[in-house]
Amino acid sequence: MFFFFQILLNGIATGAIYALIAVGYSVTFTTMRVLNFGLGMWVMLGGMLTYSLYVAWDLGIVVTALGVAALLGLLGVVAERFTVRPFVKAGSEAWVMATLAVGLLYVDIAELVWGRNSLAVPGFLGENVIRLGAVGVYPQQLLIVAATVAAFLGLDYFYYRTLWGSAFRAVAHNPEVARLMGINAGAIATASYALAGILAGFAGMLVVPITTADPQMGAVLGLKAFVVPIVAGLASPRGILFCGVAYGAIEGLISGYLFSGIRDILAFALMIVILYFRPEGLFGRPSFERA
Amino acid sequence: MSRFSNRIALGVGLVVFLAAPVILTGSYFKFLLILVFIYAIVSIGLNILIGYAGQFSLGHAGLMAIGAYLSAIVSMALGEYPVLVWTGANVWIGMLAGTIAAGLAGAALAFPALRLKGPYLAMVTIAFGWVIWKTLLNWTSVTGGDLGITAIPRPRFGAEIFGVTAYYYLAGGLMIAAFALQRNLVFSDFGRKIRALKHDEVAAASVGIDVHREKVAVFVISATFAGLGGALFAHLQNFINPDDFQFVNSIFFLLTILFGGAGTLVGPLIGAALLTLIPELLQDAERFRLIIFAVLILITLFFLPRGVAGMLPVAQSRRGSPRSEASPGPVAVEISGGVSSARTDESPTLTVTGIGKRFGGVTALKDVSMAIETGRVHALIGPNGAGKTTLVNILSGFYRPDGGSIVVANRETRLLSLHHAARLGISRTFQTIKLFGEMTAREHVMVGCELQSEAGVIDALLHDARHRDEERRRRELADALLEFVGLAARADAPATSLAYGHRRLLEIARALAGRPRVLLLDEPAAGLVAGEIETLALLIEKLRAGGLAIVLIEHHMDLVVAVSDAITVLDYGEVISRGTVEAVRRDPRVVEAYLGTAEDQRYLFARG
Repeated sequence: MFFFFQILLNGIATGAIYALIAVGYSVTFTTMRVLNFGLGMWVMLGGMLTYSLYVAWDLGIVVTALGVAALLGLLGVVAERFTVRPFVKAGSEAWVMATLAVGLLYVDIAELVWGRNSLAVPGFLGENVIRLGAVGVYPQQLLIVAATVAAFLGLDYFYYRTLWGSAFRAVAHNPEVARLMGINAGAIATASYALAGILAGFAGMLVVPITTADPQMGAVLGLKAFVVPIVAGLASPRGILFCGVAYGAIEGLISGYLFSGIRDILAFALMIVILYFRPEGLFGRPSFERA
Repeated sequence: MSRFSNRIALGVGLVVFLAAPVILTGSYFKFLLILVFIYAIVSIGLNILIGYAGQFSLGHAGLMAIGAYLSAIVSMALGEYPVLVWTGANVWIGMLAGTIAAGLAGAALAFPALRLKGPYLAMVTIAFGWVIWKTLLNWTSVTGGDLGITAIPRPRFGAEIFGVTAYYYLAGGLMIAAFALQRNLVFSDFGRKIRALKHDEVAAASVGIDVHREKVAVFVISATFAGLGGALFAHLQNFINPDDFQFVNSIFFLLTILFGGAGTLVGPLIGAALLTLIPELLQDAERFRLIIFAVLILITLFFLPRGVAGMLPVAQSRRGSPRSEASPGPVAVEISGGVSSARTDESPTLTVTGIGKRFGGVTALKDVSMAIETGRVHALIGPNGAGKTTLVNILSGFYRPDGGSIVVANRETRLLSLHHAARLGISRTFQTIKLFGEMTAREHVMVGCELQSEAGVIDALLHDARHRDEERRRRELADALLEFVGLAARADAPATSLAYGHRRLLEIARALAGRPRVLLLDEPAAGLVAGEIETLALLIEKLRAGGLAIVLIEHHMDLVVAVSDAITVLDYGEVISRGTVEAVRRDPRVVEAYLGTAEDQRYLFARG
């Protein structure tokens, strides 16, 4: 039974990371119907930067977080302007390849800058395991869950209580009409892309104390996190949080009780099955096509 | 001119191909060229999928892995039997098994995944490739884990084991075959269908194409090519491991066709050759492999949207449309009979009773009944938002009604989808014109002729007599229909170059190609000028005379009054009036729906 709770807790922490990355996909999709296919590599970049800022230069967690946010936000602005917008404007789907290409670029650059080794990053709140009876939790895992919940609450507040958030939702609903209302839809698109980059960067920052940082870490995280919004429905942040955590927990239980090699195979099979029966996701609303 | 230069290019290519192993001494370059051939086979398969059918896949390395591993495992298992080894049959059987297995895996993946569009599909295929890769790593007892499989046999013939030169001819010959199959496929009925659905799936379904089934078929063909490539790769290398089939390899294949020119015949060959040879010539390129790929992708996307082949005049002329043969001359298809006589046996043709449709909380249609009869024009009018298009969407199978019954030719039916309705003889046009991009007017109509097809994908791949014969008949019918709507002179024009009014007419010709019994026209006069509306009215008269049942949604009352036999008026999703033009015109409820009540008017005018 303790074993069950132990892997459940670990799974929830992992799931929170998935949810944080997943909402990054959702943010750009809702505003401009674009997904950053290289988002996992942005997570990796956030992790590698955390190593440099927090470990190598010892700048403290606050400066590290600000640095990660600033750099990934900036990269998000640049990437949206040069690798997404030109294609979206032209009505081409080439952005799929372009966003992937940017991700590949990050991997090789990271290998050149940081090398191919795994770099250890200590937990931000120390390494002393907190005991809850027989179950042990790293403070970092609690931090991950807390930070993710905070991020989602913040996002909720942003979407529903701020003017910019309303503008985001307006553009998501109908960019043409939003533009007529005087909303700068282009700026919203850029901002949403940068926001997705920042969220991914934070996810990388939070996860490296548990996984270690290395240039290859991004692809798998990005891919697994993609399952979440697909299953939950891309336009449903609350659904994404729920499904992300549930996915992490289920994944933990599968590898704990079955065998870890089969874990991802089951997860992807599940995704395909759900998509088949509910293309709009579990929490999405079906949309009606017009002819 | 272009045909001539194509032949010369083909001849020169063939001579170079045959002579290369003789000229090239040393096996290094031959080995490289074999790799080019193998990659080109996979790229050709991917090009059919992405370039022509417009469906993404980033999981082709996984399909290739299935071909490679299965071929290796089967041929090694069969290596126990000396007879098989001595004839080389163990390898041939292995390759065949690997190729077929990849096709089957492709079907298993495509069937659920192709319900998804664009980006989702891309991500699911990425996941597929990744799952295969993980399986290769973890299923150690069968795949050898990260060490992979070694000592994979080459085929042999008696005592002779295939050397590099023999393998060169084998892989090269198969690549030429793959290229020929690609060409046949693109210039076939099936190729036309997949190009059509690439541009507009809804319109493709409206002429009876089972979009999902065709997409799965393309994916299976594409996967089979990938499996063959994988099998050839395994027996060339003699050893394989999971690293050969990573995500980055899937990207490589995508890049070959983007770079070479997606949707061109020669694009995949050019892409596979350049992207295999260039990194090989650059020393120490391995370290920067991803950067090279990434930069190439971005450069291609920005500056070569049609790839290298897009810059070649030869390739341009080969793009898309089939070669025009000599004009068929006067055709013996009698339109008035040919269009619809086959289906004029029953009356009424299409009856709906008590149809309802809700979208969330909004009631779009409520208890609507309508009988549509042969040789009559039924107009459907009503204010904006009255539910006219929703009704047409139900009649054409695009929406399923929440309740009510639909009877087609005296049989109660559930219209399951657009293509199902089209196959039952219910054809339609669209309020916002839906055409197939730069495909020619004739091709549009030929796509619509899908219904009479007996030949299948295999006939299309082989261009056999049955396929050629059907193509000729389709072409004749298409030309006759274009003549009928007055577009004969524009038969070879890309639809994108047609004037607006001509596009409307082309949609009608396409809808007629399936020999429907019911034709649903959703605002056919929208955006037309007066003269064009008269032409349209004449056309509708002729179709009615030919025995077609026509449903006409229209806001142009002149047209409605001129051609309609009966009018049904919808308001807020309900039928408020029906009858002849005169009766409806006098119906106070209709006046009210359009102009408000007398009470309202008094109020307005008193204020005004």
